[in-house]
Amino acid sequence: MITGRLPAGRRPDRFGLLASCIAGRTVAVAAAATGERPWTDGTTIYLAADAADPVTDLAVQASLLAAGSLEPGIARRLSGRPARARRYLAVEGHRALMANSYLLPARARTLIDHDLATRGDSPAASLAVALSREPLPVPPRSFGAINPRRLLAGRDRLGPGSPVRAGERPAPAGDPRRELDEDGDGGEPGPRLEFFASSVGGRGALAPLLQRMLRLRRDPANGGGPLGAAASARVRSRQSTGRGGLVPGVAGGDDGRAPATARPRGQAYPEWDVYRQRYRPGWCTVSETGPRPADDAVLAIPDGRALRRPLARLGTGLEHRRRQFAGDDIDIDATVEARVDGLAGSPRDQPVYVDTQRRRRDLAVLVLLDISASAAEPGTGGPAAGGNSVHERQRAAAAMLTAALHGLGDRVALYGFCSQGRTAVRLVRVKGFDDGLGALEMRRLGGLVPGAYTRLGAAIRHGAAVLEDRGGASWRLLVVLSDGLAYDHGYEGPYGEADSRRALAEARRRGIGCLCLSVGAGTDPASLRRVFGTAAHARIDRPGQLTAVVGPLFRAALGPARRRTA
Amino acid sequence: MTGTTRPYYVPVSNEELVFKAAFRQGMAVLLKGPTGCGKTRFVEAMAHDLGRPLITVSCHDDITTADLVGRFLLRGGDTEWVDGPLTRAVREGAICYLDEVVEARQDTTVVIHPLADHRRQLPIDRLGITLDAAPGFCLVVSYNPGYQSVLKDLKDSTRQRMIAIEFGFPPPEAEEKIIAAEAGIDPGTAAGLVRLGQAIRTLETAGLREVASTRVLIAAARLAAEGLTLRDAALAAVAGPLTDDPLVAAGLAELIGAYLPDGHG
Repeated sequence: MITGRLPAGRRPDRFGLLASCIAGRTVAVAAAATGERPWTDGTTIYLAADAADPVTDLAVQASLLAAGSLEPGIARRLSGRPARARRYLAVEGHRALMANSYLLPARARTLIDHDLATRGDSPAASLAVALSREPLPVPPRSFGAINPRRLLAGRDRLGPGSPVRAGERPAPAGDPRRELDEDGDGGEPGPRLEFFASSVGGRGALAPLLQRMLRLRRDPANGGGPLGAAASARVRSRQSTGRGGLVPGVAGGDDGRAPATARPRGQAYPEWDVYRQRYRPGWCTVSETGPRPADDAVLAIPDGRALRRPLARLGTGLEHRRRQFAGDDIDIDATVEARVDGLAGSPRDQPVYVDTQRRRRDLAVLVLLDISASAAEPGTGGPAAGGNSVHERQRAAAAMLTAALHGLGDRVALYGFCSQGRTAVRLVRVKGFDDGLGALEMRRLGGLVPGAYTRLGAAIRHGAAVLEDRGGASWRLLVVLSDGLAYDHGYEGPYGEADSRRALAEARRRGIGCLCLSVGAGTDPASLRRVFGTAAHARIDRPGQLTAVVGPLFRAALGPARRRTA
Repeated sequence: MTGTTRPYYVPVSNEELVFKAAFRQGMAVLLKGPTGCGKTRFVEAMAHDLGRPLITVSCHDDITTADLVGRFLLRGGDTEWVDGPLTRAVREGAICYLDEVVEARQDTTVVIHPLADHRRQLPIDRLGITLDAAPGFCLVVSYNPGYQSVLKDLKDSTRQRMIAIEFGFPPPEAEEKIIAAEAGIDPGTAAGLVRLGQAIRTLETAGLREVASTRVLIAAARLAAEGLTLRDAALAAVAGPLTDDPLVAAGLAELIGAYLPDGHG
């Protein structure tokens, strides 16, 4: 990308904040190819590096996003119809700017043509005008262009977490291949996904599930060609057997061996059935495995210094110390003694205060890292935030936290987790409580590859049990790093969310502090709240933002935690 | 705080009525809202209206019960009790304002429990006495719910002893009026700053710990009143305090450039 070569002051990503505030959601800004008009794929706005007035160009694109002008229902209607898209833009651009006029910079406000802006009151109405025969002016150059195909591809990448509006229809399932050809401009974000989404019921409940299954299978050897009915059939048969040979999560983990080893041993945990309002005893089987360290993916041990300061200030309580030279209160016994000594003729300088000091740290932390396939999604914020996947960011955050807490002398363990149905919930031990933190642990961390699903509740229950058995400290804290998409076979929607919430509540009732962090995932705050409930949780874009949230988060999580009395 | 002029406060909703009703009924008040939205100013205005002295304590996480209630000091060979701010307010019948009460630890905040409910008493263990609150005593605490759900420290048992008044940033017209009045600038300039503030507030966290509060907008307006260009004033008073991250700062600078003219304010 061109951005890399430009000096920081001229890089278009500096407009990211402006774009986000006009669009009303997080949007990145990147450089478009030379000569290209401004356009957006829904998460990133592309601007020409040499634009005369980048602010106005960007205001138009961001307003289109804010006004819902580029929703998939519309984008599909415009796909492959450049003339129609231009006519739509000529009307809808003005409407979107008008709807957003309070937040527009003054220069962008001058663009609004009030006649055109009041032609319709919704994107659909603008589309109707565009579809009519009525002559329309050519949109000004700063309106840029609409790129329906990239919009749809960008949206599919967001996966099942992205909100689906009511009334939005899947593409007509006639002949998806033809539709693809029509789209023309051949960008790289895989036609396969799009084809797949439209061939099996569009955005129905099954599509994201199947997409994930496919992703598991995507290897260079057979991933190139179009996946037709054969691929879907294979996936379905796997699903019907409940568990297949796919228990991914570790690089080089050979598929063939997994069914034999993953099944038998393990611990059973109950699961909360929200529909029946009762537990299903022994419903999930959790097995713990040691990961295979990656040879090629050596991660550096992060420097936890930035995180150490907020974490070091976490006192787990106060202790009153008697006979101090300074303090909040007077130690009456010491004072009386001192007075008696003084009257008896041996005045001495005696410490007579009671001081309250932070108690010695005695903290065990278990970090659970979500390594399900959804973590392989690209993270929010686009190139401005580093452009890497949710998994990479959550992994970096896990490494930073682990290193910082380890450096502070706390007992820390780090586990990855994923699942493949209720009988195969896997926890991958990256670092046990008694392990050090060295190259081996970092290679194990590097060896985690996202795959499979998220049976969050079972992972949390096992994490809590491990903390109780092996934590060995009086204060215990469970840290869940996840995109918050609880999703597995028979673990969808409200059911999975309710069980995850329940598992966190159980842990807290047992005196374990819980905190949940989602790094770079596009999950909306409302669904995070449904999954994490009242546990302390936060969503950040980059691991670098940890320093800001970690202090209050840990404090909030430790607040309800009780000191173990046993 | 029974000074001659009332601290400048523009009511947004019925908050003044609610506060005064609670005061007359001897109930404790919880003020919720982001930093810099006018909670402290509101309490000052109320104390003025009600003619009660105001005692403010800024809470932090090392504040102890003794800091609020009082402690013995040594003088010569004798001990001497010194009232803390809370005890003083209880004796004098003042409004005691615990600012950012979530910052204080929970074992400290429990001392306000008997004061906040129907008992209106302050037990002082060290003296072995229980003080009844003088008429006119009113406990007010403020609390910043914070972005997302990071801070949820305030115990339910504490919260449920209070009535809550929710604060947000004032609507644009009111905020323009406030900024123009506080900084003594013309309404047009104030409107530009408010628009910038509104824009920043639409951002999700985006690397900012907090959004631009009314307080920082007033600070920018006051700099502008001193002759700085609006843009320079906003850079110094809005962008600088909000972030240390160079990338975010560059983004904010663009934002300020897009909303504020380069000319003099």
